[in-house]
Amino acid sequence: MSEERDWATHREAKANKLSAMSSTIDGKFAKTSDAKAILEGLIAPGDKVVLEGDNQKQATFLSKTLASVDPAKVHDLHMIMSSISRPEHLDIFEDGIASKMDFSFAGPQSTRVSQMIADGTLKVGDIHTYLELYARLYIDLIPNVVLVAADKVDRDGNLYTGYNTEETPVIVESAAFHDGIVIVQANEVVDKLPRVDIPADWVDVIIPADEPYQLEPLFTRDPQNITELQILMAMMAIRGIYEKHNVQSVNHGVGFNTAAIELLLPTYGEQLGLKGKIVPNWEVNPTPTLIPAIESGWVQSIHSFGGEVGMEKYIAARPDVFFVGKDGTMRSNRAFGQMAGQYALDMFVGSTLQIDQYGNSSTVTNGRLSGFGGAPNMGSNPTGRRHSTPAWQSLRPDNDPLGKGQKLVVQMVETFGSNKRPVFVDSLDAVEVRKEAKLQNVPIMIYSEDTTHIVTEEGIAYLYKTSSMAERQAAIEAIAGVTPVGLRSDPAVVKDLRARGIVAFPEDLGVNRNQATRSLLAAQNMEDLVKWSKGLYNPPAKFRSWS
Amino acid sequence: MEKMHFNYAATQPIERPVHIGVVASGDLEVIMKPTDKKESELNIVTGSDGFKEVWQNVLNRFFDRYPLLADFEINDFGATPGVVNLRLTQAMEALKDEQ
Amino acid sequence: MNSLWIFPGQGGQNAGMLQNVDKTLRGHVEDLLGLKLLDTDSAYQDSVQLQVGIELLQVAQVNAMQAAGLKPHLVAGHSLGVFAAAYAIGSLAQDDLFRVVKRRAELMQGAYPQGYGMGVVVGLSRAEVEALVAQVNRPEHPVYASNQNAEDQTALSGELAAIDQVVTLAKANGAVLARRLKVPVPSHSPLMAKVGTQLAAAMADVTLQKPAGIYLTNYSGRAVRQVAPVREDLSNNLAHPVYFEAMMGVAHDYEPDSIVNFSPGRPFRKVLGQKFGDLHQVNLDQMSVSDAAFLLTKWERGTY
Repeated sequence: MSEERDWATHREAKANKLSAMSSTIDGKFAKTSDAKAILEGLIAPGDKVVLEGDNQKQATFLSKTLASVDPAKVHDLHMIMSSISRPEHLDIFEDGIASKMDFSFAGPQSTRVSQMIADGTLKVGDIHTYLELYARLYIDLIPNVVLVAADKVDRDGNLYTGYNTEETPVIVESAAFHDGIVIVQANEVVDKLPRVDIPADWVDVIIPADEPYQLEPLFTRDPQNITELQILMAMMAIRGIYEKHNVQSVNHGVGFNTAAIELLLPTYGEQLGLKGKIVPNWEVNPTPTLIPAIESGWVQSIHSFGGEVGMEKYIAARPDVFFVGKDGTMRSNRAFGQMAGQYALDMFVGSTLQIDQYGNSSTVTNGRLSGFGGAPNMGSNPTGRRHSTPAWQSLRPDNDPLGKGQKLVVQMVETFGSNKRPVFVDSLDAVEVRKEAKLQNVPIMIYSEDTTHIVTEEGIAYLYKTSSMAERQAAIEAIAGVTPVGLRSDPAVVKDLRARGIVAFPEDLGVNRNQATRSLLAAQNMEDLVKWSKGLYNPPAKFRSWS
Repeated sequence: MEKMHFNYAATQPIERPVHIGVVASGDLEVIMKPTDKKESELNIVTGSDGFKEVWQNVLNRFFDRYPLLADFEINDFGATPGVVNLRLTQAMEALKDEQ
Repeated sequence: MNSLWIFPGQGGQNAGMLQNVDKTLRGHVEDLLGLKLLDTDSAYQDSVQLQVGIELLQVAQVNAMQAAGLKPHLVAGHSLGVFAAAYAIGSLAQDDLFRVVKRRAELMQGAYPQGYGMGVVVGLSRAEVEALVAQVNRPEHPVYASNQNAEDQTALSGELAAIDQVVTLAKANGAVLARRLKVPVPSHSPLMAKVGTQLAAAMADVTLQKPAGIYLTNYSGRAVRQVAPVREDLSNNLAHPVYFEAMMGVAHDYEPDSIVNFSPGRPFRKVLGQKFGDLHQVNLDQMSVSDAAFLLTKWERGTY
């Protein structure tokens, strides 16, 4: 007679681990000074560990503590992280605590990540978009331990994550319901939470942190730095894309190009008579440059992936627009935001560092492996979409009886980057980086087939209208300036493309280049934004130059 | 400091002078004046040496699209090709606006 | 405080640069090494006077900064500057520094008496420069791509005639600028390997401590926290390019909140602007240590 299989091995292992640490854990609470012992006791060699590592929020106390554990006790960890953001996220590899990493974004550590992969100190499972990584937490990257951060915690162990909830719920759920161990660093322990974001039942250990978790204002752009070229491109985008396709819902990738669009809605958009006609619904972080448009009545709703430092009071005072709890503070959710960005938006507008002759774009350049983050998700056409909106439908090909619409994916770039090197290139640096970083595929951010429009200072290429790759390339060449790609442009071909509406120069759109001045911006500096917000917006120190 | 000189065949004479752009880092001034000559003549002064080929490319592209017949004086302070294109096309537009 | 301290090498020196250096320290160094520092233009033609002089200036500034309660989180030396960098981060002891630097200068002085030196190419990528170098480099006429001070700024090291050939090719291939540099030694190339070996031997009895922060290596452009790569950098950086652009790139990942540029000169303005934008910087070539200390403390408190 064969032995009965034990079907509860994970549960038993977890119970054993927690009971072995019972002298250091009171209810769910451990002392700050016991943090190292807790991690050494609850994390086993070879464990899959999620460390928060969000785009904005960093569980700094836990990451520093993890970097201090004894590699003899805790080693060969398989790390799963949305964002490699802090030096100690990589120190743990040099020091023999971790050996493998699956991640999405590495922007803040892109140089060191590249170097460590080249040196063999960092072994990468793969690079993902945010949504892909969250999805794998439920399939084949199910974590043994998750290390997350919360704002406030009550005596029962319920968590309040507030504005910067980001991906904490999706991470915690994957561990809580598969016998993973959930360890939380908390800024504060209080008697009563503003509201419960994550229930105590999902949480195993809470450690009060020695300092508040790190939070960066990543989505704030000072209007002072917006250039006339960006203003011209923004005017073309509003006229030639937002208006033309009747866009109702949008995500703006972070950057100065999109900040310029936001600040031109109340002025240029108003001149065009577009208020109330376009973009009432947004999936975007609460960026301050949206304040004038919100105050002027352009915006009905904004759902956000995360918060933005300094915007708290403004958001709390505008609950009709933002997603605000009964308690009056915002809740964000990156997983749902990415899902919405994928399926529920008419358009994505972003920028990039390089575009090749075919229209593929990448932010990965030699020596800097920045990963993907959310952009490929937002900047791709979801073939699983079925519902129709006017903008999506307007891209439906004429000649296909079984055809359907397409998401607008817009890349906005100047032909030359700030380093004076061409953005349009024959071959992406990413092709070389694939070899250097030993990746399976070239790390392309947005593929040509998903890119429907490219906007440069020369004009707009309506790529979705092209009927062959050769025509697509010609359209790109027409607006690629004097880059190696643009220099191949044939004036006769450009004339034809313009006549057929595949390429538009400013004059074809009725956009006046001499109107592209900074005075067209609804706000020209941070002080203007504060005024628009009626004093509710509180810029972080690094953006304050006048007080 | 570099001085460059270019000539371009052109077909659209301008009727009045125009001055666009600013004397500022990363920017340039374009001054266009009507001419009796059969070709456009350009005199460029720049603080960024070694970019003659880039200027040639920018100007080829501009004159392909907008063959304005004029005398051009350009004072450049390290503008990128995109900014050069902006100022030249703004000058072109300013002329159209009043014609 | 998360500050990046940068120590230049040769190039920015000038007569009289030692006049404000602490007299006790200067006297101690002169006694220790058995020489008198003349601090004149003609003296700075001599390798020992120049290298010891520059390092004395930098060490004096480090001491003054430390006396004001300041320390670095990251240090980056360029060529000769690695010694003061190692000192500032707590790896190299003061007297050891001066003995080793004197020896380094003596070894370099004799290495290549004539016909060798360095050049620079601006406006091409390193890969493009390396392709041109490969066309010219031969055992009898060696030339190498050496220091990388910015993305589009690559130095050349080798025989002067070979350097001139690469310079000509570079200009014909779109370089914005290409010319010889006023450096009489093919530094930071394999041609200096023997000097590196000799210097490593001279350093055999020098103890190094673990850096109290991050040390950025010339030879690999990496951020390191261990002694072994620091030792390699100090003894052997002459045989390898200074990967300064990579050093600044990885330093950026540590998000320093200020940069302190030590004397002499201001050679890194462009690459620092490219990598760090308008991050707070002080320049000890133009500002007293006490003024610098005041600013750095003010910035750390988050007041402007």
